[in-house]
Amino acid sequence: MTEYAHGFRMDDEACDGCLACMRSCPTHAIRVKHDKASVQAELCIDCGSCLKACTRGAIIATTRTLEEFAHFAFKVAVPSPVLFGQFPLEVRPETVARGLLAAGFDAVWDYGIDLGLGARAIAEYAARWQGARPLVNMTCPVIVRLIQVSYPRMAEQLLQMEPPREIAGREIKRRYAQELGLPPEQIAAIYVSPCQARTISIAQPAEGGTSSLDGTVGIPQVYNAVLAEARLVNESGGQSLEPTVARSRPMLRWATPRALPAVLRDYRYISVTGLPNVTRVFDDVERGKLKDIDFIECYACWAGCGNGNLTVDNVYVCQAKLQTLMAGLPASDPVTDAEVERRYPDVEFLLERPFAPRVRTNAGDLRERVRRVKEAETVLHSLPGYDCGLCGAPTCATLARDVAAGEAAATDCVLLSRQRLQELRRTHPHTP
Amino acid sequence: MPDELLSRSFTIHGRDFERAGEASTEIKSLLKELEIDPAVIRRTVVIAFEAEMNVVMYADEGTVTFVLTDEDIGVEIADRGPGIPDLDLALQEGWSTATDEMREMGFGFGMGLPNIRRNSDEFSVKSRVGEGTVVSSRISLDGAP
Repeated sequence: MTEYAHGFRMDDEACDGCLACMRSCPTHAIRVKHDKASVQAELCIDCGSCLKACTRGAIIATTRTLEEFAHFAFKVAVPSPVLFGQFPLEVRPETVARGLLAAGFDAVWDYGIDLGLGARAIAEYAARWQGARPLVNMTCPVIVRLIQVSYPRMAEQLLQMEPPREIAGREIKRRYAQELGLPPEQIAAIYVSPCQARTISIAQPAEGGTSSLDGTVGIPQVYNAVLAEARLVNESGGQSLEPTVARSRPMLRWATPRALPAVLRDYRYISVTGLPNVTRVFDDVERGKLKDIDFIECYACWAGCGNGNLTVDNVYVCQAKLQTLMAGLPASDPVTDAEVERRYPDVEFLLERPFAPRVRTNAGDLRERVRRVKEAETVLHSLPGYDCGLCGAPTCATLARDVAAGEAAATDCVLLSRQRLQELRRTHPHTP
Repeated sequence: MPDELLSRSFTIHGRDFERAGEASTEIKSLLKELEIDPAVIRRTVVIAFEAEMNVVMYADEGTVTFVLTDEDIGVEIADRGPGIPDLDLALQEGWSTATDEMREMGFGFGMGLPNIRRNSDEFSVKSRVGEGTVVSSRISLDGAP
Protein backbone atom coordinates (compact mmCIF):
# COMPACT_ATOMS: atom_id res chain seq x y z
CA MET A 1 0.00 0.00 0.00
CA THR A 2 1.30 3.40 -0.95
CA GLU A 3 1.29 6.03 1.75
CA TYR A 4 0.75 9.41 0.15
CA ALA A 5 2.86 12.23 1.48
CA HIS A 6 1.33 15.67 1.41
CA GLY A 7 2.84 19.10 1.74
CA PHE A 8 0.85 20.30 4.70
CA ARG A 9 -0.32 19.23 8.10
CA MET A 10 -3.53 19.95 9.97
CA ASP A 11 -3.25 21.33 13.49
CA ASP A 12 -6.09 19.92 15.60
CA GLU A 13 -5.53 22.54 18.29
CA ALA A 14 -6.13 25.44 15.91
CA CYS A 15 -8.92 23.76 13.89
CA ASP A 16 -12.39 24.73 15.06
CA GLY A 17 -14.26 22.66 12.50
CA CYS A 18 -15.53 25.60 10.44
CA LEU A 19 -15.86 23.49 7.21
CA ALA A 20 -14.13 26.07 4.96
CA CYS A 21 -11.35 23.68 3.91
CA MET A 22 -13.81 20.86 3.28
CA ARG A 23 -15.91 23.08 1.03
CA SER A 24 -12.86 24.27 -0.91
CA CYS A 25 -11.50 20.81 -1.71
CA PRO A 26 -11.98 19.94 -5.41
CA THR A 27 -11.64 16.17 -4.90
CA HIS A 28 -13.82 15.95 -1.76
CA ALA A 29 -10.86 14.64 0.21
CA ILE A 30 -11.64 16.44 3.48
CA ARG A 31 -14.06 15.43 6.21
CA VAL A 32 -14.77 17.23 9.45
CA LYS A 33 -15.47 14.80 12.30
CA HIS A 34 -15.90 15.89 15.89
CA ASP A 35 -15.06 19.43 14.77
CA LYS A 36 -11.63 18.55 13.43
CA ALA A 37 -10.72 18.42 9.77
CA SER A 38 -8.88 15.46 8.35
CA VAL A 39 -7.78 14.56 4.85
CA GLN A 40 -8.14 11.29 2.95
CA ALA A 41 -4.62 11.03 1.62
CA GLU A 42 -5.55 8.94 -1.41
CA LEU A 43 -7.82 11.66 -2.73
CA CYS A 44 -5.62 14.69 -2.01
CA ILE A 45 -4.00 16.20 -5.10
CA ASP A 46 -1.94 18.84 -3.27
CA CYS A 47 -3.65 21.78 -4.92
CA GLY A 48 -3.36 23.92 -1.78
CA SER A 49 -7.02 25.08 -1.90
CA CYS A 50 -7.51 24.17 1.77
CA LEU A 51 -4.41 26.14 2.81
CA LYS A 52 -5.90 29.23 1.24
CA ALA A 53 -9.39 28.55 2.61
CA CYS A 54 -8.34 28.08 6.23
CA THR A 55 -8.61 31.32 8.17
CA ARG A 56 -7.67 29.75 11.51
CA GLY A 57 -4.07 28.95 10.64
CA ALA A 58 -4.85 25.29 11.22
CA ILE A 59 -3.47 24.03 7.90
CA ILE A 60 0.24 24.57 7.72
CA ALA A 61 2.47 24.10 4.70
CA THR A 62 5.48 21.95 5.49
CA THR A 63 8.28 23.86 3.81
CA ARG A 64 11.99 23.38 4.20
CA THR A 65 14.58 26.00 4.92
CA LEU A 66 17.92 26.21 3.23
CA GLU A 67 19.59 25.32 6.55
CA GLU A 68 18.04 21.88 6.32
CA PHE A 69 20.24 21.23 3.30
CA ALA A 70 23.39 22.22 5.23
CA HIS A 71 24.75 18.67 5.29
CA PHE A 72 25.32 18.74 1.51
CA ALA A 73 28.81 19.77 0.41
CA PHE A 74 27.54 21.74 -2.58
CA LYS A 75 24.09 23.26 -3.04
CA VAL A 76 22.79 24.20 -6.47
CA ALA A 77 19.67 26.33 -6.96
CA VAL A 78 17.32 25.52 -9.84
CA PRO A 79 15.28 28.72 -10.05
CA SER A 80 11.69 28.46 -11.25
CA PRO A 81 11.24 31.04 -14.03
CA VAL A 82 8.48 32.55 -11.87
CA LEU A 83 11.17 33.74 -9.43
CA PHE A 84 12.42 36.36 -11.90
CA GLY A 85 9.02 38.06 -11.99
CA GLN A 86 8.79 38.48 -8.22
CA PHE A 87 10.99 41.54 -7.72
CA PRO A 88 10.91 45.21 -8.67
CA LEU A 89 11.68 45.70 -12.36
CA GLU A 90 15.19 47.05 -11.80
CA VAL A 91 16.18 43.73 -10.20
CA ARG A 92 17.54 41.94 -13.25
CA PRO A 93 17.70 38.12 -13.47
CA GLU A 94 21.47 38.22 -13.00
CA THR A 95 20.96 40.11 -9.73
CA VAL A 96 18.42 37.51 -8.66
CA ALA A 97 21.06 34.84 -9.30
CA ARG A 98 23.56 36.72 -7.12
CA GLY A 99 20.90 37.00 -4.44
CA LEU A 100 20.53 33.21 -4.45
CA LEU A 101 24.26 32.88 -3.85
CA ALA A 102 23.99 35.36 -1.02
CA ALA A 103 21.13 33.31 0.42
CA GLY A 104 23.50 30.37 0.78
CA PHE A 105 23.54 28.48 -2.49
CA ASP A 106 26.92 27.55 -3.99
CA ALA A 107 25.75 27.81 -7.60
CA VAL A 108 22.74 28.87 -9.63
CA TRP A 109 21.78 26.56 -12.44
CA ASP A 110 21.22 27.88 -15.97
CA TYR A 111 17.77 26.28 -16.08
CA GLY A 112 16.90 27.70 -19.51
CA ILE A 113 18.83 24.85 -21.12
CA ASP A 114 16.78 22.13 -19.45
CA LEU A 115 13.58 23.99 -20.31
CA GLY A 116 14.79 24.20 -23.90
CA LEU A 117 15.48 20.46 -23.87
CA GLY A 118 12.02 19.82 -22.40
CA ALA A 119 10.32 21.98 -25.03
CA ARG A 120 12.04 20.14 -27.83
CA ALA A 121 11.18 16.74 -26.34
CA ILE A 122 7.53 17.74 -25.91
CA ALA A 123 7.34 18.76 -29.58
CA GLU A 124 8.83 15.42 -30.60
CA TYR A 125 6.50 13.48 -28.29
CA ALA A 126 3.43 15.29 -29.66
CA ALA A 127 4.52 14.68 -33.26
CA ARG A 128 4.89 10.94 -32.65
CA TRP A 129 1.76 10.49 -30.55
CA GLN A 130 -0.77 8.10 -32.09
CA GLY A 131 -3.14 7.67 -29.14
CA ALA A 132 -6.11 9.57 -27.75
CA ARG A 133 -6.13 13.34 -27.90
CA PRO A 134 -5.87 15.97 -26.54
CA LEU A 135 -2.49 15.51 -24.90
CA VAL A 136 -2.00 17.19 -21.52
CA ASN A 137 1.20 18.75 -20.14
CA MET A 138 2.79 17.08 -17.10
CA THR A 139 4.54 20.18 -15.75
CA CYS A 140 1.93 21.04 -13.09
CA PRO A 141 2.00 18.31 -10.41
CA VAL A 142 -1.57 19.12 -9.33
CA ILE A 143 -2.91 18.49 -12.83
CA VAL A 144 -1.09 15.14 -12.97
CA ARG A 145 -2.63 14.14 -9.62
CA LEU A 146 -6.07 15.47 -10.59
CA ILE A 147 -6.03 13.15 -13.60
CA GLN A 148 -4.80 10.21 -11.51
CA VAL A 149 -7.58 10.68 -8.97
CA SER A 150 -10.56 12.09 -10.87
CA TYR A 151 -9.94 11.45 -14.59
CA PRO A 152 -8.28 8.02 -14.68
CA ARG A 153 -9.29 7.52 -18.31
CA MET A 154 -7.11 10.47 -19.29
CA ALA A 155 -3.92 9.16 -17.65
CA GLU A 156 -2.47 8.00 -20.97
CA GLN A 157 -3.07 11.47 -22.41
CA LEU A 158 -0.57 13.00 -20.00
CA LEU A 159 2.84 13.46 -21.54
CA GLN A 160 4.67 10.47 -20.07
CA MET A 161 7.78 12.55 -19.56
CA GLU A 162 10.09 13.78 -16.83
CA PRO A 163 9.49 17.48 -16.18
CA PRO A 164 12.46 19.75 -17.08
CA ARG A 165 13.34 20.21 -13.38
CA GLU A 166 14.16 16.49 -13.20
CA ILE A 167 16.37 16.76 -16.28
CA ALA A 168 18.16 19.62 -14.52
CA GLY A 169 18.63 17.61 -11.31
CA ARG A 170 20.32 14.76 -13.14
CA GLU A 171 22.66 17.00 -15.08
CA ILE A 172 23.58 18.97 -11.94
CA LYS A 173 24.67 15.80 -10.13
CA ARG A 174 26.59 14.57 -13.13
CA ARG A 175 28.36 17.79 -13.92
CA TYR A 176 29.33 18.95 -10.44
CA ALA A 177 30.37 15.45 -9.38
CA GLN A 178 32.79 15.53 -12.29
CA GLU A 179 33.96 19.13 -11.86
CA LEU A 180 34.35 19.08 -8.09
CA GLY A 181 35.31 15.46 -7.65
CA LEU A 182 32.52 14.98 -5.11
CA PRO A 183 30.21 11.97 -4.81
CA PRO A 184 26.83 12.85 -6.39
CA GLU A 185 25.00 12.31 -3.09
CA GLN A 186 26.92 15.25 -1.57
CA ILE A 187 25.60 17.60 -4.23
CA ALA A 188 22.14 19.02 -3.61
CA ALA A 189 19.93 20.10 -6.51
CA ILE A 190 17.30 22.34 -4.92
CA TYR A 191 14.32 23.72 -6.80
CA VAL A 192 13.30 27.27 -5.85
CA SER A 193 9.58 26.72 -6.08
CA PRO A 194 6.48 28.87 -6.54
CA CYS A 195 4.24 26.19 -4.99
CA GLN A 196 3.85 23.48 -2.41
CA ALA A 197 2.87 20.96 -5.06
CA ARG A 198 6.39 20.96 -6.56
CA THR A 199 7.72 20.02 -3.13
CA ILE A 200 5.49 16.95 -3.07
CA SER A 201 6.25 16.01 -6.65
CA ILE A 202 9.92 15.88 -5.66
CA ALA A 203 9.32 14.09 -2.34
CA GLN A 204 6.95 11.63 -4.00
CA PRO A 205 6.79 11.73 -7.81
CA ALA A 206 3.32 10.94 -9.15
CA GLU A 207 4.48 8.00 -11.26
CA GLY A 208 6.08 6.36 -8.23
CA GLY A 209 9.74 6.85 -9.18
CA THR A 210 12.40 8.83 -7.38
CA SER A 211 13.27 12.45 -8.05
CA SER A 212 16.71 13.54 -9.12
CA LEU A 213 16.24 16.67 -7.03
CA ASP A 214 16.90 16.81 -3.31
CA GLY A 215 14.08 19.14 -2.35
CA THR A 216 12.65 22.61 -2.71
CA VAL A 217 12.70 25.90 -0.95
CA GLY A 218 9.81 28.29 -1.45
CA ILE A 219 10.31 31.69 -3.08
CA PRO A 220 9.58 33.47 0.27
CA GLN A 221 12.67 31.75 1.74
CA VAL A 222 15.04 33.50 -0.64
CA TYR A 223 13.07 36.68 -1.28
CA ASN A 224 14.71 38.92 1.30
CA ALA A 225 18.24 37.78 0.47
CA VAL A 226 17.65 38.69 -3.18
CA LEU A 227 16.24 42.11 -2.29
CA ALA A 228 19.20 42.81 0.02
CA GLU A 229 21.63 41.84 -2.73
CA ALA A 230 19.78 44.10 -5.18
CA ARG A 231 20.24 47.00 -2.80
CA LEU A 232 23.98 46.32 -2.63
CA VAL A 233 24.24 46.15 -6.42
CA ASN A 234 22.32 49.40 -6.65
CA GLU A 235 24.54 51.17 -4.09
CA SER A 236 27.67 50.11 -5.89
CA GLY A 237 26.43 52.05 -8.89
CA GLY A 238 24.36 49.35 -10.57
CA GLN A 239 27.28 47.45 -12.04
CA SER A 240 26.28 45.46 -15.09
CA LEU A 241 26.59 41.75 -14.62
CA GLU A 242 27.15 39.09 -17.22
CA PRO A 243 23.78 37.37 -17.80
CA THR A 244 24.04 33.82 -16.47
CA VAL A 245 20.42 32.80 -16.16
CA ALA A 246 17.22 33.77 -18.00
CA ARG A 247 19.15 34.63 -21.12
CA SER A 248 16.29 34.48 -23.61
CA ARG A 249 12.56 34.95 -23.93
CA PRO A 250 11.65 31.24 -24.15
CA MET A 251 13.04 30.61 -20.66
CA LEU A 252 10.78 33.19 -19.05
CA ARG A 253 7.80 32.10 -21.11
CA TRP A 254 7.70 29.02 -18.83
CA ALA A 255 6.57 31.33 -16.04
CA THR A 256 3.39 32.05 -18.00
CA PRO A 257 0.48 29.65 -18.63
CA ARG A 258 1.30 29.70 -22.34
CA ALA A 259 4.78 28.20 -22.44
CA LEU A 260 4.13 25.74 -25.23
CA PRO A 261 2.39 27.39 -28.22
CA ALA A 262 5.80 28.46 -29.51
CA VAL A 263 6.91 24.81 -29.80
CA LEU A 264 3.52 23.41 -30.83
CA ARG A 265 2.79 25.79 -33.69
CA ASP A 266 0.86 23.40 -35.93
CA TYR A 267 -1.33 22.01 -33.18
CA ARG A 268 -4.83 22.92 -32.16
CA TYR A 269 -3.95 24.13 -28.72
CA ILE A 270 -5.72 25.60 -25.70
CA SER A 271 -4.39 26.98 -22.43
CA VAL A 272 -6.50 26.54 -19.29
CA THR A 273 -5.78 27.79 -15.77
CA GLY A 274 -7.54 27.47 -12.43
CA LEU A 275 -8.80 24.11 -11.11
CA PRO A 276 -12.53 24.78 -11.66
CA ASN A 277 -11.83 25.66 -15.30
CA VAL A 278 -9.56 22.68 -15.77
CA THR A 279 -12.19 20.29 -14.40
CA ARG A 280 -14.80 21.80 -16.72
CA VAL A 281 -12.51 21.22 -19.70
CA PHE A 282 -11.58 17.70 -18.57
CA ASP A 283 -15.29 16.88 -18.18
CA ASP A 284 -15.71 17.92 -21.81
CA VAL A 285 -12.74 15.77 -22.83
CA GLU A 286 -14.36 12.77 -21.16
CA ARG A 287 -17.63 13.51 -22.93
CA GLY A 288 -15.74 13.43 -26.20
CA LYS A 289 -16.48 17.08 -26.89
CA LEU A 290 -12.88 18.20 -27.47
CA LYS A 291 -11.90 15.84 -30.24
CA ASP A 292 -10.74 18.80 -32.32
CA ILE A 293 -8.12 19.85 -29.76
CA ASP A 294 -4.64 18.32 -29.90
CA PHE A 295 -3.07 19.78 -26.81
CA ILE A 296 -4.17 21.29 -23.50
CA GLU A 297 -1.63 23.21 -21.47
CA CYS A 298 -3.13 23.53 -18.03
CA TYR A 299 -2.21 24.71 -14.58
CA ALA A 300 -4.08 24.34 -11.31
CA CYS A 301 -3.49 27.94 -10.23
CA TRP A 302 -5.44 30.80 -11.79
CA ALA A 303 -3.22 32.52 -14.37
CA GLY A 304 -0.54 29.87 -13.93
CA CYS A 305 2.46 29.26 -11.69
CA GLY A 306 2.88 32.98 -10.92
CA ASN A 307 -0.12 32.48 -8.63
CA GLY A 308 1.40 29.54 -6.75
CA ASN A 309 1.01 29.44 -2.97
CA LEU A 310 4.74 30.10 -2.43
CA THR A 311 4.94 33.30 -4.45
CA VAL A 312 5.30 36.77 -2.99
CA ASP A 313 4.04 39.19 -5.61
CA ASN A 314 0.56 39.52 -7.07
CA VAL A 315 0.24 37.27 -10.13
CA TYR A 316 -0.86 40.05 -12.48
CA VAL A 317 2.00 42.30 -11.45
CA CYS A 318 4.35 39.35 -11.82
CA GLN A 319 3.08 38.71 -15.35
CA ALA A 320 3.46 42.34 -16.35
CA LYS A 321 7.04 42.33 -15.12
CA LEU A 322 7.80 39.12 -16.95
CA GLN A 323 6.41 40.63 -20.16
CA THR A 324 8.69 43.64 -19.76
CA LEU A 325 11.68 41.42 -18.97
CA MET A 326 10.94 39.23 -22.00
CA ALA A 327 10.63 42.24 -24.28
CA GLY A 328 14.20 43.16 -23.34
CA LEU A 329 15.62 39.70 -24.02
CA PRO A 330 16.57 38.10 -27.33
CA ALA A 331 14.18 35.58 -28.95
CA SER A 332 16.90 32.96 -28.69
CA ASP A 333 20.29 32.61 -27.11
CA PRO A 334 23.20 30.95 -28.95
CA VAL A 335 24.77 29.47 -25.79
CA THR A 336 21.47 27.89 -24.74
CA ASP A 337 20.74 26.63 -28.25
CA ALA A 338 24.19 25.06 -28.56
CA GLU A 339 23.85 23.31 -25.20
CA VAL A 340 20.37 22.02 -26.09
CA GLU A 341 21.77 20.70 -29.36
CA ARG A 342 24.69 19.02 -27.63
CA ARG A 343 22.77 17.43 -24.74
CA TYR A 344 19.53 16.47 -26.50
CA PRO A 345 20.64 13.08 -27.93
CA ASP A 346 21.85 11.84 -24.52
CA VAL A 347 18.88 12.82 -22.37
CA GLU A 348 16.25 10.24 -21.41
CA PHE A 349 12.96 12.16 -21.29
CA LEU A 350 10.44 9.34 -21.01
CA LEU A 351 9.27 8.24 -17.58
CA GLU A 352 10.56 4.87 -16.47
CA ARG A 353 7.03 3.92 -15.49
CA PRO A 354 4.04 5.82 -16.84
CA PHE A 355 1.52 7.86 -14.88
CA ALA A 356 -1.18 5.43 -13.79
CA PRO A 357 -4.56 6.12 -12.20
CA ARG A 358 -4.44 6.15 -8.41
CA VAL A 359 -6.15 3.05 -7.08
CA ARG A 360 -8.15 3.32 -3.88
CA THR A 361 -6.93 0.68 -1.49
CA ASN A 362 -10.07 0.20 0.59
CA ALA A 363 -12.56 -0.07 -2.27
CA GLY A 364 -13.02 -3.84 -2.08
CA ASP A 365 -13.67 -6.28 -4.94
CA LEU A 366 -16.22 -5.71 -7.70
CA ARG A 367 -19.11 -7.22 -5.71
CA GLU A 368 -18.28 -5.07 -2.68
CA ARG A 369 -18.06 -1.98 -4.90
CA VAL A 370 -21.45 -2.78 -6.43
CA ARG A 371 -22.90 -3.27 -2.96
CA ARG A 372 -21.54 0.12 -1.89
CA VAL A 373 -22.88 1.89 -4.97
CA LYS A 374 -26.33 0.41 -4.39
CA GLU A 375 -26.32 1.23 -0.68
CA ALA A 376 -25.07 4.76 -1.38
CA GLU A 377 -27.98 5.27 -3.77
CA THR A 378 -30.47 4.16 -1.14
CA VAL A 379 -28.88 6.38 1.51
CA LEU A 380 -28.77 9.34 -0.86
CA HIS A 381 -32.54 9.08 -1.39
CA SER A 382 -33.06 9.56 2.34
CA LEU A 383 -30.83 12.66 2.50
CA PRO A 384 -32.14 16.18 1.89
CA GLY A 385 -29.85 17.07 -1.02
CA TYR A 386 -28.96 20.54 0.29
CA ASP A 387 -25.22 19.77 0.37
CA CYS A 388 -24.97 21.92 3.50
CA GLY A 389 -21.90 20.09 4.75
CA LEU A 390 -22.95 20.17 8.42
CA CYS A 391 -22.62 16.39 8.62
CA GLY A 392 -18.89 16.81 8.01
CA ALA A 393 -18.93 15.61 4.40
CA PRO A 394 -18.96 18.14 1.55
CA THR A 395 -22.08 16.87 -0.23
CA CYS A 396 -25.00 14.55 0.46
CA ALA A 397 -23.58 12.19 -2.16
CA THR A 398 -20.22 11.99 -0.39
CA LEU A 399 -21.95 11.31 2.93
CA ALA A 400 -23.95 8.53 1.25
CA ARG A 401 -20.72 7.04 -0.10
CA ASP A 402 -19.04 7.27 3.30
CA VAL A 403 -22.02 5.52 4.90
CA ALA A 404 -21.83 2.73 2.33
CA ALA A 405 -18.13 2.37 3.05
CA GLY A 406 -18.83 2.15 6.78
CA GLU A 407 -17.05 5.40 7.54
CA ALA A 408 -20.04 7.51 8.55
CA ALA A 409 -23.68 7.20 9.57
CA ALA A 410 -26.72 8.67 7.83
CA THR A 411 -27.60 10.18 11.21
CA ASP A 412 -24.61 12.52 10.85
CA CYS A 413 -27.09 14.55 8.81
CA VAL A 414 -28.52 17.39 10.90
CA LEU A 415 -31.91 17.00 9.28
CA LEU A 416 -32.07 13.32 10.15
CA SER A 417 -30.70 13.58 13.64
CA ARG A 418 -31.42 16.05 16.39
CA GLN A 419 -28.42 14.75 18.25
CA ARG A 420 -26.02 15.88 15.56
CA LEU A 421 -27.53 19.35 15.62
CA GLN A 422 -27.11 19.53 19.38
CA GLU A 423 -23.53 18.38 19.07
CA LEU A 424 -22.85 21.21 16.60
CA ARG A 425 -24.57 23.70 18.89
CA ARG A 426 -22.36 22.69 21.79
CA THR A 427 -19.15 23.27 19.92
CA HIS A 428 -20.23 26.46 18.23
CA PRO A 429 -20.04 29.28 20.74
CA HIS A 430 -22.11 31.78 18.77
CA THR A 431 -25.12 29.57 18.21
CA PRO A 432 -28.09 30.83 20.26
CA MET B 1 -24.59 -17.16 -17.36
CA PRO B 2 -22.76 -15.09 -14.75
CA ASP B 3 -24.90 -13.37 -12.11
CA GLU B 4 -26.24 -9.93 -12.85
CA LEU B 5 -24.79 -7.53 -10.27
CA LEU B 6 -26.28 -4.25 -11.37
CA SER B 7 -28.46 -2.98 -14.18
CA ARG B 8 -29.81 0.34 -15.34
CA SER B 9 -32.25 1.39 -18.03
CA PHE B 10 -32.53 4.74 -19.76
CA THR B 11 -35.18 6.04 -22.11
CA ILE B 12 -33.89 7.98 -25.11
CA HIS B 13 -36.13 10.36 -27.03
CA GLY B 14 -35.70 10.71 -30.77
CA ARG B 15 -34.68 14.18 -32.04
CA ASP B 16 -33.99 15.39 -28.48
CA PHE B 17 -30.51 16.74 -29.16
CA GLU B 18 -30.65 18.87 -26.02
CA ARG B 19 -30.46 15.82 -23.75
CA ALA B 20 -28.51 13.56 -26.08
CA GLY B 21 -25.58 11.94 -24.31
CA GLU B 22 -27.13 11.97 -20.83
CA ALA B 23 -27.48 8.19 -20.61
CA SER B 24 -23.87 7.55 -21.58
CA THR B 25 -22.68 10.23 -19.15
CA GLU B 26 -24.60 8.49 -16.37
CA ILE B 27 -23.19 5.12 -17.33
CA LYS B 28 -19.73 6.68 -17.29
CA SER B 29 -20.06 8.09 -13.78
CA LEU B 30 -21.48 4.81 -12.55
CA LEU B 31 -18.55 2.85 -14.00
CA LYS B 32 -16.12 5.36 -12.54
CA GLU B 33 -17.76 4.98 -9.14
CA LEU B 34 -17.39 1.21 -9.48
CA GLU B 35 -13.70 1.70 -10.29
CA ILE B 36 -13.91 -0.31 -13.47
CA ASP B 37 -10.70 -0.39 -15.52
CA PRO B 38 -10.41 2.93 -17.43
CA ALA B 39 -9.91 1.18 -20.77
CA VAL B 40 -13.16 -0.78 -20.28
CA ILE B 41 -14.96 2.44 -19.30
CA ARG B 42 -13.70 4.17 -22.42
CA ARG B 43 -15.01 1.40 -24.69
CA THR B 44 -18.35 1.09 -22.89
CA VAL B 45 -18.97 4.82 -23.05
CA VAL B 46 -18.13 4.97 -26.77
CA ILE B 47 -20.64 2.18 -27.39
CA ALA B 48 -23.36 3.74 -25.25
CA PHE B 49 -22.83 7.18 -26.73
CA GLU B 50 -22.85 6.11 -30.37
CA ALA B 51 -25.93 3.97 -29.80
CA GLU B 52 -27.67 6.79 -27.98
CA MET B 53 -26.90 9.19 -30.84
CA ASN B 54 -28.29 6.72 -33.37
CA VAL B 55 -31.57 6.68 -31.49
CA VAL B 56 -31.64 10.46 -31.14
CA MET B 57 -30.88 11.00 -34.83
CA TYR B 58 -33.09 8.40 -36.47
CA ALA B 59 -35.60 6.77 -34.15
CA ASP B 60 -38.73 7.85 -32.30
CA GLU B 61 -37.82 6.39 -28.96
CA GLY B 62 -35.40 3.86 -27.54
CA THR B 63 -34.10 2.20 -24.41
CA VAL B 64 -30.49 1.75 -23.36
CA THR B 65 -30.04 -1.12 -20.94
CA PHE B 66 -26.79 -1.54 -19.07
CA VAL B 67 -26.01 -4.78 -17.24
CA LEU B 68 -22.93 -5.53 -15.14
CA THR B 69 -21.90 -9.07 -14.21
CA ASP B 70 -18.76 -10.48 -12.58
CA GLU B 71 -17.28 -10.97 -16.02
CA ASP B 72 -18.61 -8.39 -18.40
CA ILE B 73 -20.71 -5.38 -19.25
CA GLY B 74 -23.67 -5.70 -21.57
CA VAL B 75 -25.16 -2.72 -23.39
CA GLU B 76 -28.37 -3.19 -25.34
CA ILE B 77 -30.10 -0.46 -27.30
CA ALA B 78 -33.57 -1.18 -28.61
CA ASP B 79 -35.48 1.44 -30.53
CA ARG B 80 -38.81 2.02 -32.20
CA GLY B 81 -37.98 3.61 -35.53
CA PRO B 82 -37.38 3.24 -39.25
CA GLY B 83 -35.02 0.25 -38.99
CA ILE B 84 -31.95 -0.33 -41.15
CA PRO B 85 -32.72 -1.67 -44.65
CA ASP B 86 -29.17 -2.81 -45.48
CA LEU B 87 -27.17 -3.82 -42.40
CA ASP B 88 -23.98 -4.64 -44.31
CA LEU B 89 -23.93 -1.15 -45.73
CA ALA B 90 -24.68 0.43 -42.34
CA LEU B 91 -21.70 -1.41 -40.85
CA GLN B 92 -19.30 0.07 -43.40
CA GLU B 93 -17.18 2.89 -42.07
CA GLY B 94 -18.23 6.18 -43.59
CA TRP B 95 -21.65 5.04 -44.77
CA SER B 96 -24.27 7.44 -43.49
CA THR B 97 -27.77 8.62 -44.22
CA ALA B 98 -27.40 11.66 -41.96
CA THR B 99 -28.89 14.97 -43.00
CA ASP B 100 -26.80 18.13 -43.40
CA GLU B 101 -28.27 19.38 -40.15
CA MET B 102 -26.96 16.35 -38.24
CA ARG B 103 -23.56 16.74 -39.84
CA GLU B 104 -23.44 20.38 -38.85
CA MET B 105 -23.88 19.25 -35.27
CA GLY B 106 -20.83 17.04 -35.66
CA PHE B 107 -22.61 13.71 -36.11
CA GLY B 108 -23.49 11.42 -38.97
CA PHE B 109 -20.07 10.58 -40.35
CA GLY B 110 -20.92 6.93 -40.72
CA MET B 111 -18.84 5.82 -37.75
CA GLY B 112 -21.67 4.94 -35.34
CA LEU B 113 -22.25 1.23 -35.83
CA PRO B 114 -18.66 0.50 -36.95
CA ASN B 115 -17.43 2.21 -33.78
CA ILE B 116 -19.76 0.14 -31.61
CA ARG B 117 -18.60 -3.06 -33.29
CA ARG B 118 -14.92 -2.14 -32.98
CA ASN B 119 -15.24 -1.50 -29.26
CA SER B 120 -17.28 -4.63 -28.47
CA ASP B 121 -16.03 -8.09 -27.60
CA GLU B 122 -19.36 -9.43 -28.82
CA PHE B 123 -21.68 -7.53 -31.10
CA SER B 124 -24.98 -8.15 -32.82
CA VAL B 125 -27.52 -6.00 -34.59
CA LYS B 126 -31.04 -6.94 -35.61
CA SER B 127 -33.35 -4.67 -37.51
CA ARG B 128 -36.78 -4.65 -39.06
CA VAL B 129 -37.62 -1.94 -41.54
CA GLY B 130 -40.49 0.20 -40.26
CA GLU B 131 -40.30 -1.29 -36.77
CA GLY B 132 -36.94 -0.72 -35.16
CA THR B 133 -33.42 -1.86 -34.36
CA VAL B 134 -31.76 -3.76 -31.50
CA VAL B 135 -28.01 -3.41 -31.03
CA SER B 136 -26.40 -5.70 -28.44
CA SER B 137 -22.86 -5.37 -27.26
CA ARG B 138 -20.74 -7.11 -24.65
CA ILE B 139 -17.47 -5.86 -23.20
CA SER B 140 -15.35 -8.24 -21.18
CA LEU B 141 -14.10 -6.82 -17.84
CA ASP B 142 -10.66 -8.39 -18.03
CA GLY B 143 -9.94 -6.52 -21.25
CA ALA B 144 -9.35 -9.64 -23.32
CA PRO B 145 -11.98 -10.16 -26.05
